[in-house]
Amino acid sequence: MIPVTHRASLSYLLRHPWQLLLALLGVAIGVAVIVAVDLANSSARKAFLLSMDAVTGEATHQIIGGPAGVDENVYTELRVRHGIRSIAPVVEGTVFADERRLSLLGIDLFAEGELRSFTTDASAGDDDSGVEALFRSLLTEPGAVVASASTVERLGIMIGDPVEIIAEGRAHSATLVAVFEDAGGIDDLLVVDISTAQIWLGRIGRLSRIDARLTDDEAVERLEEVLPNGNRLLNAAARTRTTADLSNAFMTNLTAMSLLALLVGLFLIFNSMSFSVLQRRPLIGVFRALGFTRRQLLTMLMLEAAFIGAVAALLGVLLGIVLGEQLLALVSRSINDLYFRVSVTSVDVELLTVLKGFAAGIGAALLASAVPAIEATSYEPRLAMTRSSLERRARSALPLLAIAGVATMVGSAAVLAGSGSNLVAGLAAVFMLILGFALCVPLFVRVAADLLANFAGRLAGTTARMAISGIAAGLSRTAVAIVALAVAVSATIGVSVMVDSFRSSVGDWLEQTLQADIYVGVDRGSMDLELVQDISALDGIVEVSTSRRAWLESEAGQTQLAAIRMAPGSYAGTEILDADPAEVWPAWERGDVVLVSEPYGFHSSVGPGDVILLPTDQGDREFCVAATFQSYDVNSSAVMMSRATYDRHFADDGVDAIGLYLAPDVDADTMISAIDTLGAGRQTLRIASNVSIRRISLEIFDQTFIITDVLYWIAMGVAFIGILSAMLALLLERIREFATLRALGMTPAQVGGLISAQTAVIGLLSGVAAIPLGAAMAWVLIKVINRRAFGWQIDMVVTADVLVVAIGFAVLSALLAGIYPALRAARLHPAAAMREE
Amino acid sequence: MNTAGRIAGLVAVLLAAAVAFAQQQDEPPSRLSGLLGQDADESFEKALTPRPFSFPADHGPHPSFRNEWWYFTGNLDDEDGRRFGFELTIFRFALTPSMPESPSSWRSNQIYIAHLAVTDAERDDFHVAQRYSRGALGLAGAQAEPFRVWLEDWEIAASAGDGWRLIARDANFGVDLELEALRPPSLNGEDGLSQKSAEPGNASYYYSITRLATNGILTIDDKEYEVSGLSWLDREWSSSALSSDQVGWDWFALQLSDGTDLMFYQLRGRDGMPDEYSAGTLVAIDSQVSHLTSAEVQVRVTDQWQSDDGGLYPSGWTLTVPRSGLELDIRPIVADQELYTTVRYWEGAVDVSGTRNGQPLTGRGYVELTGYAE
Repeated sequence: MIPVTHRASLSYLLRHPWQLLLALLGVAIGVAVIVAVDLANSSARKAFLLSMDAVTGEATHQIIGGPAGVDENVYTELRVRHGIRSIAPVVEGTVFADERRLSLLGIDLFAEGELRSFTTDASAGDDDSGVEALFRSLLTEPGAVVASASTVERLGIMIGDPVEIIAEGRAHSATLVAVFEDAGGIDDLLVVDISTAQIWLGRIGRLSRIDARLTDDEAVERLEEVLPNGNRLLNAAARTRTTADLSNAFMTNLTAMSLLALLVGLFLIFNSMSFSVLQRRPLIGVFRALGFTRRQLLTMLMLEAAFIGAVAALLGVLLGIVLGEQLLALVSRSINDLYFRVSVTSVDVELLTVLKGFAAGIGAALLASAVPAIEATSYEPRLAMTRSSLERRARSALPLLAIAGVATMVGSAAVLAGSGSNLVAGLAAVFMLILGFALCVPLFVRVAADLLANFAGRLAGTTARMAISGIAAGLSRTAVAIVALAVAVSATIGVSVMVDSFRSSVGDWLEQTLQADIYVGVDRGSMDLELVQDISALDGIVEVSTSRRAWLESEAGQTQLAAIRMAPGSYAGTEILDADPAEVWPAWERGDVVLVSEPYGFHSSVGPGDVILLPTDQGDREFCVAATFQSYDVNSSAVMMSRATYDRHFADDGVDAIGLYLAPDVDADTMISAIDTLGAGRQTLRIASNVSIRRISLEIFDQTFIITDVLYWIAMGVAFIGILSAMLALLLERIREFATLRALGMTPAQVGGLISAQTAVIGLLSGVAAIPLGAAMAWVLIKVINRRAFGWQIDMVVTADVLVVAIGFAVLSALLAGIYPALRAARLHPAAAMREE
Repeated sequence: MNTAGRIAGLVAVLLAAAVAFAQQQDEPPSRLSGLLGQDADESFEKALTPRPFSFPADHGPHPSFRNEWWYFTGNLDDEDGRRFGFELTIFRFALTPSMPESPSSWRSNQIYIAHLAVTDAERDDFHVAQRYSRGALGLAGAQAEPFRVWLEDWEIAASAGDGWRLIARDANFGVDLELEALRPPSLNGEDGLSQKSAEPGNASYYYSITRLATNGILTIDDKEYEVSGLSWLDREWSSSALSSDQVGWDWFALQLSDGTDLMFYQLRGRDGMPDEYSAGTLVAIDSQVSHLTSAEVQVRVTDQWQSDDGGLYPSGWTLTVPRSGLELDIRPIVADQELYTTVRYWEGAVDVSGTRNGQPLTGRGYVELTGYAE
C-alpha cells in the first residue's frame, strides 16, 4: 500500500502540472547542458585518440626529425645497415578533396605488416587478383588512393573513380583503388603509397616520421645508439597524449560553461521546489497535527525531489545527447581551427557521462529541495499553516545569508590569490564568487524594494507602491527568482565583457601585426620557392618578408617555432613587451637569440635573459630569450627566430607565407590579381590584403566564440523559465489577494498592470544586482581564467551597451515571463476566486 | 629449374605481405594464382629464343622480365661433422614492364622477396625466415658490377677474387658464407632457354653453377658453427611460367661423389602425371653439359611425409638415368623441410646413394617440391 504521504505528494504534483513541468525543465536543461558538453568534449578527444591509434597502429615509438622531417636515407640505413626491422616510414599531411579536409597517410605496404592494419572491404577486388591489383596500383600508379567506406561515401566516389586532390595548393589527379572497412579513427583518411604522399606534400626525400615497435629497453637503446643526430626517438603514446593535451584548456573552459548552466538551473530547481514546499505548508501543518513525525514528512519531500530529479535527469540526458551532437560540430570545428585535426561524425554516448548527468540531476534536485524541506518541516504545526510567520522568518534570515555570502566571496578571493596558475582552482573561485554574491542578493532586494516602494508610492500612487512592496513581502519566493535571473544576467555581462575585451585586444594586435600590405600563402602547405622568387620580382613590390612555421618536438613536448625573414617595415609589427626593441632586434638577427610569445613565456615561466633548449638538426641547442612579444595566435609562434638563425640550425628551406610591402602608388587589388595570374597553373595561392586578413581573423575569432554564445543563451533560457515559474508561483499564491483587489473595484487591466509592474521591477533589480557580479566575473575571466588557460594579457574593456543590454534583457525577460500570469490574474472571476478557499 | 616452387614462394611472401596488410589470414592462396601465370602483361620481355649469356653481366638483374631469382642451396658440415643444409634465395618481381618515372625515390615497379632456411640434421630441425621490400631507395636491389643483390641486411655480393659472399641473419639463425665457384655456369635447356610448355614464351632463361666451394659461419640460437661444404646456384628469369594444366614440380639438384652433377625437374600435370616438358642437365667432371629429356629420366617415389598442415609430400625417391647408367636413391636428411609460408612448399637437403654402371656412388643435393600443400 502506498503510504498516505506519498499519495499526498503524488496528488499534489498531479494537481500542479505547470509547476511540475517547470521543475522538471529546470533540472532537465541543466543536466542536458552538462551532458552535451561532456559528450562533445569526450567524443572529440576520443575521436582524436582513435584516429591517432589507427594511424600509429602497433607502434610504440616514433622517430622524428626537425621541421623538414626525417631524411629518408635514415630509414634505409636503419634497415639495410643495422638490420632494424620493426620500423615503418610515414609521410603524412592534410589534403583537400571536394573541399573536404582529409588526412593523408603515406605508407610503405611492405613495412606495414608489423605496425598497422586496415581491413580491405570485400568489394575492394572485383576478382581473385584484388590484392595484387591493390599492390600494383599503390606502388606503381602515382595517384592510387585507399579510403574507408564512409569517407568514400561522403566523397561520393566508387572504386575506379577519379578524384581531384588539392595538396599544398596544387591539384593532383587520384584514383580510388580500394576501400577499407569502416573502423574507428580512419574517417576522412586517405591512404597512399609513400611515394605519392611525398610528391603531393612536397616532401621529396623526407619522411614525416618513422614508426617503430620496440618491445624492450634493449631495442630502444640500440635504435637510439644508431640514430643520426637531429633525429629523436619518442614514445608514441606520450606523443599522442601531448598533442591531445593541447586542447585541455579549451575543453576545461567549455566544462566550466556547462557548470554555469547547471548552476543557473540549480536556482531554478530551488525555486520550483521551494515553492512547491511552501505552497504545501498548510498541508504539512495538518500532517504534523495529525501526528506524522518531522522525519516522515522530510522523507516524503526528499523522495519527491529525488523522483523529480530522476525523471528530469532522464529527460536531460536525452536532451543532452541531442544537444551534444549539435555542440560537437562546433567543438570539433574550434579544435580543428585551434589545435589538431579531428574528424568526428557521431557522438559517442558513454555510461560515465550518463551517470554524471543523473548524479547532477538528482543531486541538484535534492540539494535544492533540502533547504526548503528542512525549513518547512521545522515549524511547529500551527505556525506552519501561517504565511506571515514564514515571511518573517525569511526576512530575519536575510542578513545572515548576506554575511555568509560575503564570507564566500572573501573565500573566493583567497582561492584566487592562493592557487598560482591552476585553471581549475580559478574556475572554482568563479563559482564561489557567484554563490557568495547570490547569497547577498535577497538583502539587496529587500532594501532596494523598501526604498523603491516609498519612492514609487509618492510618485505613482498606491498601486505602484503595492506592486513593489509585494516583491519584498513575497521575498521567500521572489528572491530566488531574482537571484537566478541576476546570476544569468551577470554571466552574460561577464562573458560579453570578456569576449569584447578579448576581441578588442586581438583587433589592436592584428592592426599592429599585419604590417605588410599583402600576404601570400598556401592552404596547409609550403610555397613553391620559384614562385616566391617570381612574386618578389614583381614591379611595385618594395620589400618582402617570409615566414616559416614549424613544430619542434622533443621529449619535453612540442614547441611551435616561427622563422621570420623580416622586411625593414616588419619590426614594428611585433610588440616587444618587456625589453628595449632597439637592443632586441639586432641581437635577434645576429645570434642564437629568440623571442618568445607571451603565452609561451607565461606557461613556461620564461622571460628575457633566460635560456631555452630547442631540438635542432644538430641536437639540442641553447637559445637566449631576448624578450617576450605579444601574440594572440594560439596556433603558432611560441618561439620567434630570425630566418638566418633558423637556417643555421635546420636543413629546411620551406616558406609558408610571404608578406609584401608595396610602393606607395601601387594598388593592392591590382597587385593581388597580378600575383594570382603569376600563380595560375603552378600553385593555388591564398592572397589577401592586410585589411581582409584582419576581417577574416576577427571572423574566425567570432566563430570560435559561438559556443560561448550558445551556452550563455541556454543559461538565459533557464533564467527565463525561472522567472516565469516564480511569477506563476506568486500568482497562484496570491489569487485571493488579486480577487480581493478586483472586488474592491480594480479593473482587470489594473491588476494585470500591477503584476507587470512587479515583474518589471524584479527584472530591473536583477539587472542592477547583476552588474557588479558581471563586472567581477569579467575581471576574473579576463585576468585569471584566460591568463591561466592561454597566458594572454587582455585589457578589460567595459562598454555601456553591454550593461544596458543586460539590464534591458533582464527587464524584458521578466516582463515576458509576467505576461501569462498577468493575463490570468486579469481574467480572474473575483467571486469564484474568493470562494475557492 | 624450380619455377613453380619459386613462383609459389614468391607468391607466398607477397601474399604474406598482402595478408598482413589486409588482415585476412584465411585468404585462399588460389586468389593469387593469376599473379604470375597466364595473364602476364604482354609487354614484359619474354624468353622466346636462345640468347648469348655473358658473365658477370648476366649475374646482374634483368628488370624487363617479370621475375628473376638468385637461388643458393648447399650442404655443409662443421668441424665435428655436424650436418647442415641452407637455402638463401632473393627473388625479384616486376609489377609493370617499365619503371615508372617519379621524383620520389620510393616509386618502383620492382619488388624483392627473400627466403632463408637452415636445416639442422642433428637436431632434426628446420628454420625459415622471409623478407620483402620494394626495390627502391637502396632498401633492396640488384646490380651486375660490382655484383650485389640485397634485401635490407640480407646480401649476396661479389667478394675478393671471383667468389661470392652470402650474409643473412634472422632473429635466431643465420648464415655468413664465402662461396667459390668450382665450375663455370652451365646453361640449362636449349643454350639457356628453358621451355616450360608448348606455348612460345612460356619459358625462362636459366643457368646454374652446380658446384661452389663453401666456407663460413652458420648460426643457430646464438651458437656459431664453422662450416664448409658445397653449394649450388640457380639463376633464372622469365615473364611467364606455368601453363594452366601444370600444378607444380619436383626439382632435384644433386652433386655426386664422382664429380658429376645432375639437375632434373619433373613438371606435374593436373592428372598427377609427369609433363613432357620436364627436363634436366648433366654436368660432367670437365663441366661439359648434356641435356636430359623427360623420357630419359625415371623418378619413383619410395616414401612419403605428411606435413602438419595436411600436405602429403614424397619423401624419398629412386631416380634412374639409363643413358648414363645412373641409379640413385634419394633421401631427405630431415623429413620436415617445409617452408611454412602462406603458400607452402618443401625445399630440403638430401643424401644420395646409388650406382653408376654398377659402381657405388654417393652424393648430396637439394630437392624442391611444389604444389603438394595449398
